[in-house]
Amino acid sequence: MAQFYIKRRSFLHSLDPRVKIIGMLIGIFTLMLFNEPLLLIGLFTALLIMGKFLAGADFSYQFKLLKPLLPIVIITLVVWPVIYKPRIEGFFIGISYSARLLGFALVTFLLLMTTTQKDLVLGFVKLGLPYELGLTLTISIRYIPTLYGIAGTIIDAQRSRGLELEKGNILVRLKKMSAVLIPLIVTSLKTAHELSIALESRAFGASKKRTYLRDLKMTKRDYAFLIAMVACFMIAVYARYALGFGYVNFYRGGA
Amino acid sequence: MIVVEDLHFGYNGKNVLRGIDFKMGREIVALVGPNGSGKTTFAKHLNGLLKPLKGKVVVDGLDTREHTVAELSKKVGYVFQNPEHMFFEENVFREVAFGPRNLGLSEEDVEKRVRWAIKAVGLEGFEERSPYSLSGGEKQRLAIACILAMKPDYLILDEPTTGLDARAEREVVSVIRSLQREGHGILLITHDMDLVVRLAERVVLLHGGEKVFDGSTEEFFTEFDVESYGLEKPEVVKLGERLGLGFTRNLDEIILKLEGRA
Repeated sequence: MAQFYIKRRSFLHSLDPRVKIIGMLIGIFTLMLFNEPLLLIGLFTALLIMGKFLAGADFSYQFKLLKPLLPIVIITLVVWPVIYKPRIEGFFIGISYSARLLGFALVTFLLLMTTTQKDLVLGFVKLGLPYELGLTLTISIRYIPTLYGIAGTIIDAQRSRGLELEKGNILVRLKKMSAVLIPLIVTSLKTAHELSIALESRAFGASKKRTYLRDLKMTKRDYAFLIAMVACFMIAVYARYALGFGYVNFYRGGA
Repeated sequence: MIVVEDLHFGYNGKNVLRGIDFKMGREIVALVGPNGSGKTTFAKHLNGLLKPLKGKVVVDGLDTREHTVAELSKKVGYVFQNPEHMFFEENVFREVAFGPRNLGLSEEDVEKRVRWAIKAVGLEGFEERSPYSLSGGEKQRLAIACILAMKPDYLILDEPTTGLDARAEREVVSVIRSLQREGHGILLITHDMDLVVRLAERVVLLHGGEKVFDGSTEEFFTEFDVESYGLEKPEVVKLGERLGLGFTRNLDEIILKLEGRA
């Protein structure tokens, strides 16, 4: 299952989740500033190196996480030269967009690899997300493996009744899936209902102001990293808009 | 005959089954053991849901590695613990018909089998009801009917009486007994020692992925040290022992033996 978190004692692991969340957003905006293929590939490589040395994640592990994106990357690389003229520019756009996409993913993974779910949600709540939403988020993440397990059991139960999901064309298979989806939906709804009763019986929402068992505290390191990131971002914005750095006007011909 | 030879299985680097030998015919065998002892993993090998890493499982001459679950479902039926994990049709009749239809039978044969299976579990008159509207015991019996309609020679029942009240449990027990009389082999996965003493002729105890006991129910409760595996002797067995009557399966037996002694 999608378990991104890796247990390490790295620099990024030790940072306050709020700093990492802001860092992720800054990373995403930075990637959006530029469209020069080489620069974006450079940024992507820089993120990989950050992952290795600041988050303690092996390159192989990072590539494993990125692997599901491979089809989209291939489609991007193939489609741009086909639909865009001149083709050579389409080719470069394809490279830029692929590198940017992979960069977005990697920036997000940097956060998820180094932050536990608990810290992540606490971070979002401290940044102003309503607690109820934060809890909903935690519960949804918490139930992904559970539902995955139940789905496995349901598939086993239906296979024991002679269901063969791998046989037939797409329409037949979709119809067969109802034998799995209906019990799964019913079970999920029942679980959700029971969970809501369990929450209420533990006085959820009884007091307006919540206290937390664990609180987050910004250290000097957190502030230093945050300031450094913001500074880098401002330099990037200056370079991009005042100096026109890292931006190629692909669209000058007008498509 | 189900024949299991030197069965090994594991996942994520964990050995769940370590070399199990097992044979069963048309009898009621109770498969017991603490949580995580490998009971369900073992049972899932018998209808091919899991394939052995080492060793083999042969059902009436069919090696499970060479046959699909769908093919094996005609031989070995598996009734999962939670009946609701299999219900998806709008009424009881269609629910029971799902299995036989997957076997590719004619509509006429399907209908015959469904009527027969519904009757076998005593759910006549429920054909048009929604499966989800049934009571706990009825759901459990419907789950058995769904599998029964595929006419397997062997049935695996995973915790068939958990969560049922006394009356529903009696109904399920009587269904199991009548299935055995009709020649089905039944493997009963359970934690309930009362159910074991009521139903099973033979007991197999798994512990840490190994078979630590395989023998008659009488031997299990009289000669084997069940307590050291965290299991408790049923009250009726203890009572028989306290009265010096030897192994007794139920109150009627105790009364008979007492009368015989008097």
